[in-house]
Amino acid sequence: MAGAEERRSLLGDDDDYGESDPGPPTDRTMLAVCDPTRLLHRIVVLVFMCFLGFGSYFCYDNPASLQTEVTQDMNLNTSQFMQLYAWYSWPNVVLCFLGGFLLDRVFGIRLGTVIFSLFVCVGQVIFAAGALLNRFWLMEVGRFVFGIGGESLAVAQNTYAVNWFKGKELNLVFGLQLSMARLGSTVNMNIMGWVYNRMADLIGATGPTTLGAALMIASATCLFSFACALVLGYLDKRAEKILKKEKGKTGEVIKLTDVKDFPLSLWLIFIICVGYYVAIFPFIGLGQVFFIEKFNFSPAQARAINSVVYIISAPASPILGFMVDKTGRNVIWVICAVVTTLIAHMMLAFTFWNPWIAMSLLGVSYSLLACALWPMVAFVVPDHQLGTAYGFMQSIQNLGLALIAMAAGAILDTRGYLFLEVFFSACICLALIAVVLLYFVDLLQGGELNLSAVARASLQEEARLQKEATLDSE
Amino acid sequence: MAADFLNIMPFTLLFLLLNMRFSSGLLGFGDTYKRQLSMELNPGLNSSIPPGVNLLHIRSLGNDDTLHFLLCNLGSPTLLLVHTNSTSSSIQVDWPEFLAGNTSGSLRVVPENAVLHSNALVLVRLWEYDDLNDTADPQEVPVSSFLPPYQLESFQWEPLNNSTLDPQAHTVRLCGGDGSPAFSNGSFCLQLSAFGSGGREAGWPGLLHNANSSQVRVWLQGVRPRAAHSRFLLELHALGQPYGLARVEVLQSIDDEYTPSIFTVSQWLATPSNVSSPVLGFVEWKPVAYRRPDPIFTDATPCHHSSPVAVGGALSSGLALAFYGAGAPATGLNISYGLAGEPFYNTTNYLSWSMLAGIGDPPVDSFSPLVLAIMAVGLGTPLLLLLLGGVFVCVRRRSLAEGQAYSPIN
Repeated sequence: MAGAEERRSLLGDDDDYGESDPGPPTDRTMLAVCDPTRLLHRIVVLVFMCFLGFGSYFCYDNPASLQTEVTQDMNLNTSQFMQLYAWYSWPNVVLCFLGGFLLDRVFGIRLGTVIFSLFVCVGQVIFAAGALLNRFWLMEVGRFVFGIGGESLAVAQNTYAVNWFKGKELNLVFGLQLSMARLGSTVNMNIMGWVYNRMADLIGATGPTTLGAALMIASATCLFSFACALVLGYLDKRAEKILKKEKGKTGEVIKLTDVKDFPLSLWLIFIICVGYYVAIFPFIGLGQVFFIEKFNFSPAQARAINSVVYIISAPASPILGFMVDKTGRNVIWVICAVVTTLIAHMMLAFTFWNPWIAMSLLGVSYSLLACALWPMVAFVVPDHQLGTAYGFMQSIQNLGLALIAMAAGAILDTRGYLFLEVFFSACICLALIAVVLLYFVDLLQGGELNLSAVARASLQEEARLQKEATLDSE
Repeated sequence: MAADFLNIMPFTLLFLLLNMRFSSGLLGFGDTYKRQLSMELNPGLNSSIPPGVNLLHIRSLGNDDTLHFLLCNLGSPTLLLVHTNSTSSSIQVDWPEFLAGNTSGSLRVVPENAVLHSNALVLVRLWEYDDLNDTADPQEVPVSSFLPPYQLESFQWEPLNNSTLDPQAHTVRLCGGDGSPAFSNGSFCLQLSAFGSGGREAGWPGLLHNANSSQVRVWLQGVRPRAAHSRFLLELHALGQPYGLARVEVLQSIDDEYTPSIFTVSQWLATPSNVSSPVLGFVEWKPVAYRRPDPIFTDATPCHHSSPVAVGGALSSGLALAFYGAGAPATGLNISYGLAGEPFYNTTNYLSWSMLAGIGDPPVDSFSPLVLAIMAVGLGTPLLLLLLGGVFVCVRRRSLAEGQAYSPIN
């Protein structure tokens, strides 16, 4: 759940996307709320757009929020438990390349969105059914199906946003969607334990049935998102008819042969991305029991602290994004973020200090990294390779997440939490090595990545003037 | 700004590394002290003894001292540790008196003035209770839920022989039951291992031991529970001269590498009331028991100890009686197994728990070389790269600047 939502801030800056003029306003008089050219209508659309992803974000971290319950009721060890996360990531190793293509060429945005949210829905229902029937393999199948829909749905959500809000309130919309995603994760972390306990009271015992019932209830959020997809599809179609506007496109062009042209700095960015995110998401997946066992937290406290990364990220992302935009020097910011995360992980590994400190640091640095790392891709590859670069980045990120999720489970089962935290720290160290290398590689190549915002703006201005000059001379 | 930051960063990391709470000492290569072990069954016995009664003596010879480990099942199973400052001290048993089971002084360590310190650990009773409300807290359970305890002094024990004694590994296994239907297919066992050098048991809980300690593992295997929600408690008594085991200290440890998810260690210490004085003897355990013989992560179940109290009444241990006499003061505590919400004993019909008993300070855990190596490489490589990169860039800049300085002349 890391990739798609981060890269959208770039999609907005790109000029290749679908919509041209909104077209002439229609003669018919409509209520403002029904008129696609009016702000009020767009706000209605925005509400549906935000809730489109709510279900998938809510359900993605269901296993983390019910870690003890899942492992006990299904009688799992930690490696089996982490398979639930690995199975989510596997389809996305491939789908990161295909998602955009499927939306543009095969299904179209409207049908595509409906199909992907249906996958999310069905996946979650299978997941819950697996628990109800006490069949763990069925739960894994459910997570796989859920994964097929989840990440691609985020791409579809971006495309809708660009389609409706390009040139208007796009950055605000992206910000709102991101906050909504984090809200979904946070609500999940803090409410699922309560839902489970209510179910346990109702059924009279804990066990697979209780777990299945709780997960079934969670799938209602997916159903809700599916309804949003249907409504959005209808509104989009209607707007298209009234405004005669173009269909929304992701505009992504994936050319795998571009990979051989990727510069060294891009590969280093990939390593940072994998090394960093594998120390965040699998950690959150295993966090609940860690806080219970090492810091003697109650289950509710453990869920709360486990969601703190998401809570901080909701308000911090826009603020830090603004800061990075204004200052530039992305490499330094990435170094800051990686070092802070390393410190946070080492605090969790080697001290009994209050984990709220470490988790808050983790939340801030996670947001900072997202703001500083993802835009760097656009500085090192030409625009026409951007889709391929992002697809590749997300693909290996998902590969890393799948593999590390399995490794983390196995390490915890045999070596305990200290070793697991040391392992996560080692992953962060790998990211640190990569970013230090990136700093020097960039320095030797002229320091483009690490320019301040002012210098970058003047460089762009210069380039623009040069371009105009050449055009004039022709 | 960038350069400043890059200069500060290594120190920040170093500072953090130095500030971390190492459990004690950076590298735990401390325990290299070795002892020579020898094992002897029923020392000094000429005639035959009643079936099922055994006295095992393990003599642990150091450079200038001797440790005697004695395990006996006359009455309650008992481990006796005697530390002497002589390399020639030995055990003297007056067998007829000893077997009569009521005479103090029938077992002695001679010369008596060489004895520095001794501790006895008696396994007294195994309690079973029906945890109807699933609290796993014996304090909260109504008295009526407690089943009659198994008195270990009245158990019948299998004889010690070649299959239960391993003179090479210096281990001995003692199994028994009370002959009731519950024990028809099961037994209560304990295994004593003595060590000639420092090390660590391969399986969990993987307690770190040194040459001054021995490990006792206690387990219930196939014993049929007498209630649907059975949980167990083990009652332990301790005696000592000049100081008995008194206070229990629970230490936090950040290192759970050898006992996954367990971050504390409990130490029952024999020490004068003055806290700063040295520890003479200890019993140490990690608060965890296991529900299967070859446990995986989810088979671990926490255990709790009650605070130690003085216990009176007749000694149930023949060995303690023979060595300390009838009036010796004793302290006792209970170890209770399980946690609210965790499976009951009947899911596996197995429960295993280990402790370490020894003299001097308990061995101190430290990070494994692998953990230290990973952190050293992980933190060292970026720092090294920063250093090399910084030097390289400086040199390059300088040579570029020199090149420019000369260019006008050309």
